[in-house]
Amino acid sequence: MDYCRKQVKSDCEELLSRFQQTESVRFEVFSKIWREMNFSHIFYGTLKREKRAFSRLVLDIAYSFFLPPFSFQIRVGGLYLLYGLYQCQTASPPEQIRLALKDWDDVKKFEKDAVDAQHYDTVYIFRKLMSLKAFHFTAMPTLLAYQKKRKVERSALCEDFLERASRPQELINIELLEELSNIHGLYEKMKTSVSSISEQANSSVNLIHKDLMPRLRSTVVHFYNWQQRKDGAEEDEDSGEGTSSQQECSIRAERLASIKSKAYGQAAEASKSRRHRQVEVDFTSSEAGPSNTPGPSRITKPSLKARTNENVHISGDVWQEATTTTQINRLTSLDSVPEGTASSHTSEMFHTLIHWTLFAALSLFCMLTCNMSMKLKA
Amino acid sequence: MAAYSLSTDSTTNIPDYEYLDVNTKPFHIGSFREEWLSRLKAGNSSYRHEDDDTFDANFAKEMEVGVETMTELRSVCSVDSLRCHPEDQQPDTDVVPADSTLKTLEQRKKRQDYKASLKVTKNRHDLYADELERLTFGRKPGAEADLVPEGEVILSINVYYPATFEKFTYVRPHMTLLMTGSHTLAELRDAICCVSDLQVCGEFSNTPDMAPDFISKDHFKSAFFYFEGVFYNDMRFPECQDISITTIEWAKTRNFPSYSQAKMEDTRFVDLKVKVGFPYLYCHQGDCEHLVIITDVRLSHKDDCLDKKLYPLLTHKHRVTTQKCAVCHVFIGRWVTTNNQFAPSDPCLFCDKCFRMLHYDADGNKLGDFLAYPFVDRGAFN
Ligand SMILES: [Zn+2]
Ligand SMILES: [Zn+2]
Repeated sequence: MDYCRKQVKSDCEELLSRFQQTESVRFEVFSKIWREMNFSHIFYGTLKREKRAFSRLVLDIAYSFFLPPFSFQIRVGGLYLLYGLYQCQTASPPEQIRLALKDWDDVKKFEKDAVDAQHYDTVYIFRKLMSLKAFHFTAMPTLLAYQKKRKVERSALCEDFLERASRPQELINIELLEELSNIHGLYEKMKTSVSSISEQANSSVNLIHKDLMPRLRSTVVHFYNWQQRKDGAEEDEDSGEGTSSQQECSIRAERLASIKSKAYGQAAEASKSRRHRQVEVDFTSSEAGPSNTPGPSRITKPSLKARTNENVHISGDVWQEATTTTQINRLTSLDSVPEGTASSHTSEMFHTLIHWTLFAALSLFCMLTCNMSMKLKA
Repeated sequence: MAAYSLSTDSTTNIPDYEYLDVNTKPFHIGSFREEWLSRLKAGNSSYRHEDDDTFDANFAKEMEVGVETMTELRSVCSVDSLRCHPEDQQPDTDVVPADSTLKTLEQRKKRQDYKASLKVTKNRHDLYADELERLTFGRKPGAEADLVPEGEVILSINVYYPATFEKFTYVRPHMTLLMTGSHTLAELRDAICCVSDLQVCGEFSNTPDMAPDFISKDHFKSAFFYFEGVFYNDMRFPECQDISITTIEWAKTRNFPSYSQAKMEDTRFVDLKVKVGFPYLYCHQGDCEHLVIITDVRLSHKDDCLDKKLYPLLTHKHRVTTQKCAVCHVFIGRWVTTNNQFAPSDPCLFCDKCFRMLHYDADGNKLGDFLAYPFVDRGAFN
C-alpha cells in the first residue's frame, strides 16, 4: 500500500492548503472544500482487503496533521480530515484512528484550546469521534516491524502549515521590558553607590549594555518584521498559481534552495568578519586578570573545532551587535578553569545560542547580579 | 515472573521512539495500560455504543449551548455534509471515478488499467487473508466469562521464520498473532507453528509406519523467549531443560551485561518490559531460531474479537510454496530418500502414497536398497 503514500499525502495537503486559505476553522467551510474536491472518492476503487490497508494508510497520514508542529488551524483541518475519512471509508467495520499515548497531552490541550475559543464545531467533531469509538488507544502512531527505510525519503513537513515561531515575541513582551528596565535602573544605581573607588573597578562591573532594553526590543521587532516579510514574499510568489503542479513544485523547491543558500552565505560572511574578534577573545582571556584593554592582536589560527562551530553558527550579525570582547572576557574569567579551555568552552556555548536567547541570558544574569548585590548590601 | 522494578518516573512508561519510525524505548506493558486508563474517561474504552441523542444531550450540557445551536451543530457536522454524490444516487465504490483531480485516484486508475492488461487473477494469498479477516472482527463470546474485559491490552506479534529458509532481507515470511495482556508467553509458544516441531528424526525405510510417532515437539520440549535481558524458559514439563543457561554462562565469561531467567508459563505480557518494533528471539528444538517482534500494543476495542477463547488469534500467515512429490506432482512431499535406485534424483521427494507403492510390496516388505527419512514441508501449515 506504501506505493500511494506520496499521492495521498499530496491530496491531503491540497485539501488542507485550500482550507488554510479560507483562514477559517469552521467545519462547514471544510466540508464545502471536501465536496468540491470529491474527497470521499479517495476510497473508491480499492478492492477487498486493499480497502482496510488503504484506510489504515490514509488515516495514519491524516493523523499527522492533527498534531504539533502544525498551526492550530491546520490541526483543526487535520481533525476534520480524520472525521471525514473515518466516516467515508469503505472498510467495514471501519478502521480506527491510532492515537498514541505520547500524543494524548497534545490532543487534550488542543481540545481545551478549542473549548476556550468556543469553536463548538471543532469540539463537537472531536467528541463525536470519541463517542463513535473511532480511536485505538495505542503505544505508537503506527505498527512497527523494525523496517529500516531503504530509501531515506524524509517526508518533508509542509512548511506553510507550521506554527510560526512566536516565542521571542511572547517572551520579550512589554511587561518584561518594563520589569527589566526597572531592574536595570536599580542595578545601575547600586553600581555607582558601591564602586566609586577606582576606574578599574568601575569598568569591571560594566557587564551590561547601558541601552540593553532598547536593543532587546529592537531585535525582537527586527525578528518579527523579518518573519512578516518572509511570509509576505512567499504569498506573493504563491499567487502565481495555475501552472502545472509539477512546475509549481520545482519552483518552490528552487526558492527554498535559494533562501537556504542565502542564509548560509550570510552566516559565512559574518563569521569571516567575526574571526578577528574571536581571536581577541581567546587572547585576552588567556591573559592574567580581568584586564579591559584589548591585548596586541596576535593572530592565532582558530582550532578546527572553533572554525566548525563558527560555520555552524546561524546568524552572525546579531552576535556582533550583542557582544563585545569585554563581556565575554568577564564571563570567562569568572571561571577558574584553565584559561584556554574556559574561553573555547564559552565561545562554544555562545555559538549555540540564537540571538534573542543571548539577550535573555544576559538580562537574567543582570537580574541575578542585581539580586546578589542587594543581598550583599542588606 | 520478570523481576522488573517499576520506575517511579511516569514518563518511562509512555512509549516513545528510540529510533524514529523503527522501534521504541523499552516500557512496561502493564504500566502503559495503567497510563492510558488513568487518562481516559470510563466511556472512552468501553464497548458500549452511545446513541446520538445521549451524545448531543451531554454535549449541550457540558458546553452550555442552547437547543438552536445544537440543532445547527448536528446538521453542520453530519455525515451528509461530506457526501460527494446526489442523495438519490448510490455510486459504485468499487470503480475508480473518472476524471478525478485527486492524485491518489489518477495513480490508482493507471495501476488498475495496467493490471487489467496483465489479466492476472487474484492469488490464493489474498483470498486466504480475506477469510482470516472475516473471522476476527467483533466476535462476541457465548459466555460472559469469556469476554475480553474492557481496557485489556491487545498485542500484535510477528513471529518470523528462520533466516535460513529464505533470503531474509528480501522477503520476511512470518505469522502474525494477536494476544491479550493476560496471556502468558507459554501460550504464545503453543501458538507458534514451525515445521521443525513436526520434524521426524531418523531413518525409517524398514519401518515406515513408525515414523509419525516420533514428532520432535513431543521429544524436545525445551524452548525459550528472549526479551530485554531476560530468558523466559518453558519449564512446564519435567523433561524441559533450561537451554538458555548455556548462553547465560557464555555471556558471563565474556563480560557481557548479565542476563536473567524467568519461566515462560509464569510470565504474562502485562509483566513484560519490551521495545515495540524491536526484534527479540524465540528458540526451540535446540537451534531453530525465530525473530519475534511486538509490532503493536493498544487497548482493546469493541470491534476486536472479544472472545477470549479465540486467542491467540492468527491474523496473518505467510503462505509458502510447497514441494511436490517427484512422481505424481500433485501431493506434498512426505518422504526424502537417498541412495535410491528407483529415484530419478538423489535425494528425492515422494508423497506417502507414491513412496509406498514404489518401495514396498503389497505386504509392506521393503523392495531394494534405499534410505528413507520422513519429510515435513514448510508449507504444511498453509
Ligand atoms: Zn522453529
Ligand atoms: Zn506422489
